[in-house]
Amino acid sequence: MMRILNILVIAALVTAAAYVYKIKFESTRQAERLAKLRTEIRQEQDAIAALRAEWARLDSPARIQELADRHLKLRPIEPRQFDTLDRLPVRPPDLVPPDAADPIGSLLENPSVLELPTASIPQGRR
Amino acid sequence: MPASTVQGPAPETQELWRRRLLRTLLYGQSVDRPAKSQARIGLAIAAFALCFSVIAGRLVMYAASDNTTVRRSYAADAVATARPDILDRNGEILATDVRMPSLYGEPQRIIDKDEAVELLATAIPDLDAAEVRERLSMRRRFVWLRREITPKQRQDVHRLGLPGIGFMHENKRVYPNGPLVSHLLGHVNIDNQGIAGIEKWLDSRGLADLHLAGLARDRLQRPVELAVDLRVQHAIRDELVKARTKYKALAAAGLVLDARTGEIVSMVSVPDYDPNNPREALDPTRINRLTTGVFEMGSTFKALTLAMALDSGRMNLNSMFDARVPLQYGRHTINDYRGQKRMLSMSEVFTYSSNIGTARMALALGVEHHKSFLRRLGQLDRLRTELPESAEPIVPRRWAEINTVTIAFGHGLSVAPLQAMMANAALMNGGFLIPPTFRKRSEDEAMQVATRVLKEETSEKMRYLMRLNAEKGTAKRADVDGFYVGGKTGTSEKVVNGRYARNKLLNTFTAVFPADRPRYLLLVMLDEPQAIPETHGYATSGWNAAPVAGLIIARIAPLLSITPRFDLPPAERLILASAPSPTRR
Repeated sequence: MMRILNILVIAALVTAAAYVYKIKFESTRQAERLAKLRTEIRQEQDAIAALRAEWARLDSPARIQELADRHLKLRPIEPRQFDTLDRLPVRPPDLVPPDAADPIGSLLENPSVLELPTASIPQGRR
Repeated sequence: MPASTVQGPAPETQELWRRRLLRTLLYGQSVDRPAKSQARIGLAIAAFALCFSVIAGRLVMYAASDNTTVRRSYAADAVATARPDILDRNGEILATDVRMPSLYGEPQRIIDKDEAVELLATAIPDLDAAEVRERLSMRRRFVWLRREITPKQRQDVHRLGLPGIGFMHENKRVYPNGPLVSHLLGHVNIDNQGIAGIEKWLDSRGLADLHLAGLARDRLQRPVELAVDLRVQHAIRDELVKARTKYKALAAAGLVLDARTGEIVSMVSVPDYDPNNPREALDPTRINRLTTGVFEMGSTFKALTLAMALDSGRMNLNSMFDARVPLQYGRHTINDYRGQKRMLSMSEVFTYSSNIGTARMALALGVEHHKSFLRRLGQLDRLRTELPESAEPIVPRRWAEINTVTIAFGHGLSVAPLQAMMANAALMNGGFLIPPTFRKRSEDEAMQVATRVLKEETSEKMRYLMRLNAEKGTAKRADVDGFYVGGKTGTSEKVVNGRYARNKLLNTFTAVFPADRPRYLLLVMLDEPQAIPETHGYATSGWNAAPVAGLIIARIAPLLSITPRFDLPPAERLILASAPSPTRR
């Protein structure tokens, strides 16, 4: 009776020891992984910061202006070139339905479209 | 329970348990051997239990606390402390931290110095071999070989596998836009501590204390957003640099202030410096003229005198002032620049920029009134903003009538240009004095710190006068079609050896746009501009500062999302007619 009990206790002890060892090993591994990930995150953050700084340098208005002057034929916008959306003329109606098989024929069938204006003059400014 | 078997069942167990426990642990003479051994075992069990519980407790404490060892090893690497990023109002980076490897050597551990120097020179081509050899020959344990090398160079040096050569990572403050925002941002020293501008302000807000406590090492600090707009800043700097070469001026400065919030959208003072190379900042010609310098603002100050006259209620736009003869005051004679030699109405005093007229206006109201009005507008006290650099205005110690006469047209009182712009904003925005700020601020927040210093209708009339001056006065060359610009020129002679020098001018120009619904104020300042053929031999503000302001407005107004409007009626109808109270009496 006592011997069985002892054997059981020893078995339990060995199992417990093995289990604790496993947990300890696992936790060490996890801690190492955590440290590694932390370092990686820091490195990534540093890389992002460096790239953002580089981007800001490349994006600097002074540099863009210099490049534009050298390579483009664009000129600065003049105030007259701004306009509002509500002054945009409406799109003229289609003279020919887009799916017409014979465009000229459909024009002849419906001669009233020819009287529609084909261009527009903005209101208020001549 | 071994003790109870010794004692046997007893009715008085409850009362004697304490004595019994003592006896089981420290047995007496009367106790027999089995009881003794059992008591000893009990003692051993108690001792071991105590030990193990202590160990268990420590284990729990270690498990619960953070994994500090890992973090500490990393932090030791960061020599210089981290700072928060600084962004402009659109989120563009103005200043950021970059971790840079730096190369160091431990001379005692290096085996062959010549080989090391030779190999290092292959990895870093622009390395000064002689200097490195000298440093490695020093009898020291640690020498810097090169601060801030590129990651590629670090890799190459690492591959060489030299003993006694190592890297250390440091936080390095980087200003990607170079000199563009220099005076405003300031700069840091080699240990990443702010020593000027907004950088210093950041430290004064408690960052320095965090550094001392070793807490601010992380990159996770929230970025600081400023009111400055990088694009506007660039446009103004570009135009000012061009203007400075064109008019051969010593210096040029520009400032854009949001009239409704007091935000400083742009502040440029050329010559400036590159904050990445802070040594340039020591040159005294590169100071920030807008906050660190005080100047006699000249005729732009007349706007304040006119506002005072209108606000007093004792004069209106049609009051007449005698400008027929120069104003004699003791030994002084007040003259007009190209005087009209006739009676002038208040509007004409402004558009012809008559010194005599403004002087008479201020005299009519008296010295005390003038003084208290300027104090109310914050012109007599030092203006404090986030920038640590600020200059105190130079106010005459004894303020006699002659001082009022000259200060009325902007001489005899030196203020920081930013300060003058704050007052000008109050004249335009409906009469609210809003302390300017470099940080983002909404209109509601601005209203909480604002104080009303002028009546609404005074501001209305001042807007009319500013616009009128751009329509038919001295500010014509600043008018940009579509943005309804209003402005005032100012040409003041600089004081050299206690006398006003005729050929050394300080030209200023204040503009407001759009004048009917003011959004922004612009100040352009040129220090000693020269007359050039294009200006027909003139060097006054209307010929240089005003056209520069026009060029700037044409560039920045679209960036500040101001829609151009054309064919607007003249100021007389658009601003005066819309005034809430009857303006003509």
